[in-house]
Amino acid sequence: MTSIESDTEVAARLEFEETQRSEGWRLLRAALRLQRRNLLLGALVGILWASFKVAVPQMTKYAINDGIEKNGPLLRWALIIGGLGVLTGVLSGMRRYIAFRESRWAETLFRERLFSHVLNLHVGYHDKAQTGQLMSRASSDLMQIQGFIVMIPITLSNVIQIFAVTAILFLTDPILAIVALIPLPFVNLSARRFSHRIHPASIAVQAEQAQLANVVEESISGVRVVKGFGAEQVQFEKLEKEADDILRESMKAARIRSSFMPAIDVLPALGLVAVLGVGGHRVLNGDLTIGDLVAFNVYLTLLIWPLRNIGMIVALGQRAAAALVRINEVMSTESEITDPAQPKTLPLQTTEPVGAVKFDKVLFGYNPEFPVLRNFSMEIRGGESIAIVGATGSGKSTVTRLLLRFYDTQSGHVFLDGIDVRKLKLSDLRKHIGVVFEDTVLFNDSVRNNIAFAKPDAGVEEIERAAKLSGAHDFVLQLPNGYETVIGERGFSLSGGQRQRIAIARAIVANPRVLVLDDATSAVDPSKEGEIRDAMKTVMSGRTTIVIAHRPGTIALADRVILLDEGKVAAIGTHDELVGSNARYREVLASMSTPEEEKVN
Amino acid sequence: MWSQGGVTDEDRLSRAQARTVIGRVFKMAAPFRKTMYVAFACVCATTLCALAGPLLVRRGIDLGIRGNDPASLNVSVGVYLLVALIAYVFGRAQFLYLNRTGESFLRVLRLAVFRQMQRQSMAFYDRNKAGVLVARMTADIESMAELVQWGLLQFLAAGMLIVFALVLLATLSWQLTIVALLVMPILIAASVKFQRDSNKAYLTVRDRVGANLSALQEGITTVRVIQAYAQEEETIRKFTKSNRELFKSHEHSVRVSTWYFALIEFGGVFASALIIGIGGWLVHRGDVTLGTVVAFTLLLSSLFDPVQQLSQLYNTVQSAGAALNKLFQILDAKPEVDEHPGAVALPLSGELVVNGIDFTYSGAENRALQSVSISVGVGEKLALVGPTGAGKSTLAKLMARLYDPQVGSVSYGGIDLKMATMSSLRERIVVVPQEGFLFNGTIRDNLRIARSTANDEEIDAAIAAIGATEHFATLPDGLDTEVRERGSRLSAGERQLVALARAALVDPAVLVLDEATSNLDPGTEAEVEHALERLMAGRTVIVVAHRLSTVQRADHIAVIADAQVAEYGTHAELIAKGGRYSALAAAWQKSQVSR
Repeated sequence: MTSIESDTEVAARLEFEETQRSEGWRLLRAALRLQRRNLLLGALVGILWASFKVAVPQMTKYAINDGIEKNGPLLRWALIIGGLGVLTGVLSGMRRYIAFRESRWAETLFRERLFSHVLNLHVGYHDKAQTGQLMSRASSDLMQIQGFIVMIPITLSNVIQIFAVTAILFLTDPILAIVALIPLPFVNLSARRFSHRIHPASIAVQAEQAQLANVVEESISGVRVVKGFGAEQVQFEKLEKEADDILRESMKAARIRSSFMPAIDVLPALGLVAVLGVGGHRVLNGDLTIGDLVAFNVYLTLLIWPLRNIGMIVALGQRAAAALVRINEVMSTESEITDPAQPKTLPLQTTEPVGAVKFDKVLFGYNPEFPVLRNFSMEIRGGESIAIVGATGSGKSTVTRLLLRFYDTQSGHVFLDGIDVRKLKLSDLRKHIGVVFEDTVLFNDSVRNNIAFAKPDAGVEEIERAAKLSGAHDFVLQLPNGYETVIGERGFSLSGGQRQRIAIARAIVANPRVLVLDDATSAVDPSKEGEIRDAMKTVMSGRTTIVIAHRPGTIALADRVILLDEGKVAAIGTHDELVGSNARYREVLASMSTPEEEKVN
Repeated sequence: MWSQGGVTDEDRLSRAQARTVIGRVFKMAAPFRKTMYVAFACVCATTLCALAGPLLVRRGIDLGIRGNDPASLNVSVGVYLLVALIAYVFGRAQFLYLNRTGESFLRVLRLAVFRQMQRQSMAFYDRNKAGVLVARMTADIESMAELVQWGLLQFLAAGMLIVFALVLLATLSWQLTIVALLVMPILIAASVKFQRDSNKAYLTVRDRVGANLSALQEGITTVRVIQAYAQEEETIRKFTKSNRELFKSHEHSVRVSTWYFALIEFGGVFASALIIGIGGWLVHRGDVTLGTVVAFTLLLSSLFDPVQQLSQLYNTVQSAGAALNKLFQILDAKPEVDEHPGAVALPLSGELVVNGIDFTYSGAENRALQSVSISVGVGEKLALVGPTGAGKSTLAKLMARLYDPQVGSVSYGGIDLKMATMSSLRERIVVVPQEGFLFNGTIRDNLRIARSTANDEEIDAAIAAIGATEHFATLPDGLDTEVRERGSRLSAGERQLVALARAALVDPAVLVLDEATSNLDPGTEAEVEHALERLMAGRTVIVVAHRLSTVQRADHIAVIADAQVAEYGTHAELIAKGGRYSALAAAWQKSQVSR
């Protein structure tokens, strides 16, 4: 933090963090309340298990004192111990099962709530949010919480076990109990300190591993550059440095482990030494039986794991709390774009063409201080096709985003068929607008499902018709599994032009009132582009179409052209009219052309 | 936790493979063999100390307490204390030495695998997906870190503990040892079954976690499209389905472990019941002492715990073995394009001649090039055009020896490229790929990829040579600007400028260009075009062309179709000929502005 905070600011921040934390815990409590029956059952099982577990050494003691030393009923004692074995076995299995199942279930439900919340958040939120951040909320942060929940029933039975064992030891021989127990709190302390110190160390190792991964990744993705320039040695030296860093950080972590782990092992042994020394002499003096001495030994070993676990749960709890705060940050964000309280419905299609779009004195900026559109008004009749032309940054694509209500205007209105888009249900509005975005996004799914995205129940004919219109049908048939070929990031990789043609088919299947093509054919092979444009004319006839033109070629698709300049409509007319009358239009066109055409001019 | 690894049936190593892998690991670990032996000795010492404890308790009870000899009791206590302290010292040492051995091994492995990957030719990178190669170098090696930090130690310690404990128990009382071993077969059988089931469960969980993460990521990155088509509900429904599948696989894997841990818990108590029952009877008969019975109850865990640990570690060790096997396969791969032992430097200038070459990509059925011959004179510009996949990029790559032809040769100044030293080849012929690929670091660092020894003046000169000095001066830190991951801080055009400056830094005689298919932003496009022109001036150029403007500027045009040179000539000649080229030129013309 470079900025210096005033006292009040610090106070405000701390208070904010405090509310976040308590909100986070509230979130966890609410989630756990849903599962309270099973969690209580788990706790009960844990307590029972602890009691039986504690009874085993007690019975061993009786067996030695009564059965072996006094020649008593040995078989009976052996059977009792065996019976306890059955009980502790069954109960420990149950405890484990309940703890893990419930924690996984809580994690599962949390993840679903998080996902559906994020998916419904307004686009403005996603502009700022990083995918990686949201991913780690739903994966590693939830794992921290799961790790904590699983420890709840286990910790409970551990606490019971510690109390019970301590009580028995004191009842048997208070002096020996004190001597034997002295080293044990240090086990707990060491475990706690170990957890605190190893966590940052292993994070440092992970950070170094991530850096090495970067070098590897870029050397492999950029292999043509590396090979082309013979830069193998340069990259190797980078990698060597990262590998050395990993070794160094790993050894730091190893040193932390080496200073705590053996200590945690040795401390209980010191207790056993004390029991043998002090206890042995007390037996010799007749203050203690041999059975008691042996039981003491066993009890001490029973304390080791619970003490270690309790030491660790403190650290786990703190990590879970931090994770909860981060999750709560997302969950408490409200969507800024929501359905109206009393939505209107769009007029049905009659003889009049539908799909009229109107922007009325719209003021909008992604940052309100720097408006992108100012006093922007335009009207598109139903069924008309229009091209929006403008220099880079003139706000062409913003028009689409406002129509879709990805953002709301700061002032002014946007209408679809005469109804303010804010008065419509979001799903109603968006189902009637089909957009082919500038950067084509496909899903990791079959070609069929990608095309039928907006209408999952679309029939085969409908899908193929759309694919034919967008010029996708032919190459789809060439794919290994035709329409069933899985495409997208992890599937069959398509060229940029092929991807765009699938995206166009997707928009066609949606059968929208308004079709928006945002530079939809930029990556299509020039020799194919003409073909697609011809096909598009069929789709566009009788349908309102907005073409966001980044290149001169696409303008030809539209009836009229709107020239956008500095956030306002600078001119409207046909392409030929504007070329003839508007100098600015010619300028913008020229800047869009390829250099070769510049020379021709 | 209890299951950190798993291995699929196809990856599981055979006995012979396992032996080879272990042998190679030891060979690679040779430089730090001493550390390894020290580590091993420390593990032995710690294990012995752990076993000495119960023995000393036995001695204390039998000789000290029952023998009513306080002095003897004190001796036992004193030695016990000493042993505990020694155990601590060796415990620390074993951690340090084992970790040092393991981590040093991983470092050597990382360097060796990376170096070998870099020696491979392009064909290797065509065969292996980038993601898989990255995974070998990262996830596969990291998966072994766990083993190095904990597993190796536990594995060694557990194995030793079983052996030592058995020997010890047998010397104390053979009768009670037999009793203790009665429970062992059940325990071992359960462990083997658990290891198999948990391996399977782990693999399912791993797959489902992967699928779920992908669904999650896809949902977040495509949120705009989902919202634009109002498909939130449907997407959430699909995600919930994959999320519930994940939950089921978790639940299954817990169930697998539940009965096993229940049995282990029962087995431990049951065995001590047996020892007490039968041991007590033996004490009555006078066959064993009470101290021995007590020592046995204490030592039982030394016998049972390691069995349990070994079974849990087994999967981790197996998956590490599988990972190592794959890494060794990379180490064994012979680079296809390598320097010839008697290689000579290429001359400073000369004609680039392709002489009757055939080329087939490995694994492909059809030839990518078939008896292609073409020559490019000094300072000549050749454009390669033709349909996608016809072989024009392949030809360009062979002309820069990114691959070697199966038949025929490519020569420069009369010397076969196969006989040229790699360094002179890379200095003479430079390939500039379609998109400017940038590495993490500053712009200067990115230029030094081309020539690591270049000083700042030379870099400035290279930037000036392509006329981009002013452009980069406008960046906040000029040429010292950090370009971030993949150069994300720069525009596509700026990245291309950096790529061209790299070529200028090498100052090659021959440039091989792959023209971009998609357009850059109009602003920088002109600058890139200008830089290209300056770079091409006075050099031999082979360009894979996608635009009319580029083709028109070339001295000669070769149309590559169906793996062969279909037409060759100047623009005017080929237009006049009215063949493939004139048709292509017409299509290009049409896709420009409709006039």
